[in-house]
Amino acid sequence: MAEQTADVAAAHGHAHDDDHGHHPTERHYWIIFAILAVLTAVEVAWSYLGLEGVSLWLPLLVMMVAKFILVAGEFMHLRFDTKIINGRVFTWAFAASLLLAVAVYFIVFAAFDTVFA
Amino acid sequence: MTDIADSATDVVDDVASADDHAPADHGHDDHGGHHTSLGLSNMKLAMWLFLGSECLLFGALISTFLLSKARFITELVAGNPRVIESIPAGLAEEFIEAGTVEPIYDIPFTSGSSFILLMSSLTMVLAHKAVSEDDDLQTKIWLGATALLGSTFMAGQVYEFTVFYREGIEYGTSLYGSAFYTLTGFHGAHVTGGILMLLSLLVLAFRGKLKSNRAETVELVGLYWHFVDIVWVLIFTIVYLIP
Amino acid sequence: MAMMEEPLALPSGTVARSRPLGAFSRPRETSGLVTWLTTVDHKKIGIMYGAAALFFLIIGGIAALMIRVQLAVPDSEFLSAEFYNQVFTMHGTVMVFLVVMPIGAAFANYLMPLQVGARDVAFPRINAFSFWVFFFGGLMLNTSWFLGGGADGGWFNYAPNNGIAFSPSNGIDFWNIGLFIAGIGSLTGSVNLITTVLNMRAPGMSLMKTPVFTWMTLVTQFLLLLAIPVLTVAQILLASDRLFGANFFNVEQGADPLLWQHLFWIFGHPEVYLMILPAFGIVSEIIPTFSRKPIFGYPFMVFSGIAIGFMGWGVWAHHMFVSGIGPLSVAAFTVATMFIAVPTGVKILNWLATMWGGKIILNTAMLFSIALVIQFTVGGLSGVSHAMAAHDTQQTDTYYIVAHFHYVLFGGAFFGFIGGMYFWWPKAFGYMLSERIGKLQFWLMVIGFNLTFGPMHILGLQGMPRRMQTYSDAHGFNFWNMAATIGSFILGFSTLMILLNAFVSYRKWVAADRPNVGADPWDARTLEWSIQSPAPDHNFDHDPVVTSLDDFWHRKYQKDENGVLRRVATGDELAQPGNGEGVHLPAPSYWPIVLAGSIPIIGYGVIYSLWLVIPGAVLMMASIYGWALEPADDLDIDDHHDDHAKELETVS
Repeated sequence: MAEQTADVAAAHGHAHDDDHGHHPTERHYWIIFAILAVLTAVEVAWSYLGLEGVSLWLPLLVMMVAKFILVAGEFMHLRFDTKIINGRVFTWAFAASLLLAVAVYFIVFAAFDTVFA
Repeated sequence: MTDIADSATDVVDDVASADDHAPADHGHDDHGGHHTSLGLSNMKLAMWLFLGSECLLFGALISTFLLSKARFITELVAGNPRVIESIPAGLAEEFIEAGTVEPIYDIPFTSGSSFILLMSSLTMVLAHKAVSEDDDLQTKIWLGATALLGSTFMAGQVYEFTVFYREGIEYGTSLYGSAFYTLTGFHGAHVTGGILMLLSLLVLAFRGKLKSNRAETVELVGLYWHFVDIVWVLIFTIVYLIP
Repeated sequence: MAMMEEPLALPSGTVARSRPLGAFSRPRETSGLVTWLTTVDHKKIGIMYGAAALFFLIIGGIAALMIRVQLAVPDSEFLSAEFYNQVFTMHGTVMVFLVVMPIGAAFANYLMPLQVGARDVAFPRINAFSFWVFFFGGLMLNTSWFLGGGADGGWFNYAPNNGIAFSPSNGIDFWNIGLFIAGIGSLTGSVNLITTVLNMRAPGMSLMKTPVFTWMTLVTQFLLLLAIPVLTVAQILLASDRLFGANFFNVEQGADPLLWQHLFWIFGHPEVYLMILPAFGIVSEIIPTFSRKPIFGYPFMVFSGIAIGFMGWGVWAHHMFVSGIGPLSVAAFTVATMFIAVPTGVKILNWLATMWGGKIILNTAMLFSIALVIQFTVGGLSGVSHAMAAHDTQQTDTYYIVAHFHYVLFGGAFFGFIGGMYFWWPKAFGYMLSERIGKLQFWLMVIGFNLTFGPMHILGLQGMPRRMQTYSDAHGFNFWNMAATIGSFILGFSTLMILLNAFVSYRKWVAADRPNVGADPWDARTLEWSIQSPAPDHNFDHDPVVTSLDDFWHRKYQKDENGVLRRVATGDELAQPGNGEGVHLPAPSYWPIVLAGSIPIIGYGVIYSLWLVIPGAVLMMASIYGWALEPADDLDIDDHHDDHAKELETVS
């Protein structure tokens, strides 16, 4: 492990490729999991409140995005993604694809929605 | 995606330069003074690109589901007799009354499955941590736990499908049925693929071949696994919780 | 898809110590067919992509000529209406998916690693797999000719026409599954090539020092990476409908068939850019070389390529203007479509400005490149004309559209590819193609092409619908249809002249006992010309170190004390001698072709009998594990490589 880190660090003086060196502790992962679990519980509870419209789906979507970001950032280590010159490559590759998907499919919905027609 | 360290190593390895100070490291293609342009591992880069591609795939499936659901409900409310006919007897009134397809979901049950899948993400990341630290016992425990939790989730999905099927929601009965089974089934297929990878890793671990020099392999399987989990986070909220 | 989700990183070398290796040993052949079947060399794979594309080109070309024979005279009964439907559908499908895309992949595979100074692509075995899975998918698609007839819904197979009710034969199932399989190859290939461009560049070669062709490869592969899954989903939905009784496009169940159009064109529009961008990259290498000038506005060239790729995602509904998507959507997509002409125009301007004031050498490769610029501009302008929805309403589904996309795809992309073949043929095969035959081919192609597709503009504006099996004498379409048919035969013959030229030139070269052409026959600019021709197996003897854009050129030409550019060395003097001693190459492998071969078995099983899926899946799983467990190389080298792992083993 140390070997790898040293190796990489030697190869790229500036870059901290390795997330290995900055790995959070086990406790950290458990905390993240606890937050995720609580969020899920709140989501389910919220869906039982009998709300309708924006007050129902907006908080649910916000919590969904929060869970998404937590898993991608902490468990998939995007938070420790290497910064190379002017961007974090993995984060950028993933986020760009994700945003593209959201944008494209949103436009499809818009095109289907009679409001826009 | 199966191309592993070996060929990556093959490619970058040949020019043995003077500053070759570290022993050749098979699990990491970035070694021996010969490094990649971005200083990132080829395998990880490839995995992230693949996951980006998967975003478009699941995006299309989720969109298809939402459109199908929306059209299904619209037609239902409009009282299209053909659609009502396609709903199994006994359920039609319930559907129309609620104006939604929601009643059939067993939310507490699915919440349990979601929790299990979230839990498996935790065990996955702990497995990666253990293997990076050459902790054999914990590696085996956490890999096994992840595979077990994933299998439990799949068992839950099979159970859910069976219940729906008994209620008369078959794959071909309605637009809604087709869309629901395709989306969740596709996710299930991804989970199953992940379980197979985890079991392969577990076999390696038990044969004593899974050490910290292979930590990246575990990390790659982990990335895939977490991604599948993330997709379920979306499906759970969008399909199950928001009517 | 299941097979691509397997980042099964079982360690190589786990079974290496159990001699003999049996099924897990790597192939040892050094010549003959087996080397081609098991190769992981990006150059051989690139050549195979090209050969496969030419093979499919003949199938697609025969279909095209059948269409033209049928339409040569009014009220023709050469082809039945049913068969005509199959012929034009398969012509479009084969040309798009099995000819233009793989030729682009051929150039990308062969050249891009050379241009970035890499030993090979990032994942050589996946590269071989990508090729074989594309090839088998294409073959499977074409077996439909013999198994009840090809697909007959047009190359975009609109719903609900693609349903069982309207197309009861298995043709569309083959279209569906065959392209799905070929798509797996495109997806794995794109991951591989993107990783290579981003991560395998020679020391000193920052992204803004990579050649334009490499940039266009990068953009193309990103388009593939993100567009293929959308088509995949559309195909999954259609296959579920046709084979498993789902209802995604079943109007009776309240489905909206427009969903198919949206999904298809979300894929389909990036698709057209990923067909043209490799050709743009090719002429961006040829034009500077034969204008004796650097490319004009390199950053603009790069960023306009990226802009085209990016904007290509926001224009898909312009294929759907007459499908009733609503005025706001139509307006928005009209504007977006017109905007995309801007980066394309930037490229055309830059090519012209590159030639402006240059010492132009009008050889075959350059002629084809200039023809691309002109003919693509014609096609681009007719494209802008139907970006306007009102205009498009008149033109859609007429021969005007057929004229437009043949001008961009044949007059643009394909002319660029032929030019690229003339340009890089000596690099790949070590001998020059005849300029005499080449120029003859060029002029015949230009005449044939414009005679075939030029008249279609007129026919379209006269109202001749595309995809009609025949027309009446009274329509007044006779003259131009006959002209187009004559043109198509000239075009067909002249396209094949590339093979004739390859054969004749090779015979002459051998008969004259001439040596291989040197490293740099064109006095060119990029790194692939700094190694011997044909490119040695190991590419570069040592990593080239790059300090500037067109680094090789700058090593040949330097400014003297008066600021005048002078040649300081010839390319052959600077070229690496091609001594591969001490270079260790990735070993060939059986598993890519075996794994790729297992997938069509599953495909046939899905269409005919699910029982057949079982052996296919078993073979697939077996080859995935075989692949993962395969030793990295023969034993000695493997031991050398695996010392770290062995060390750990002894410790435990």
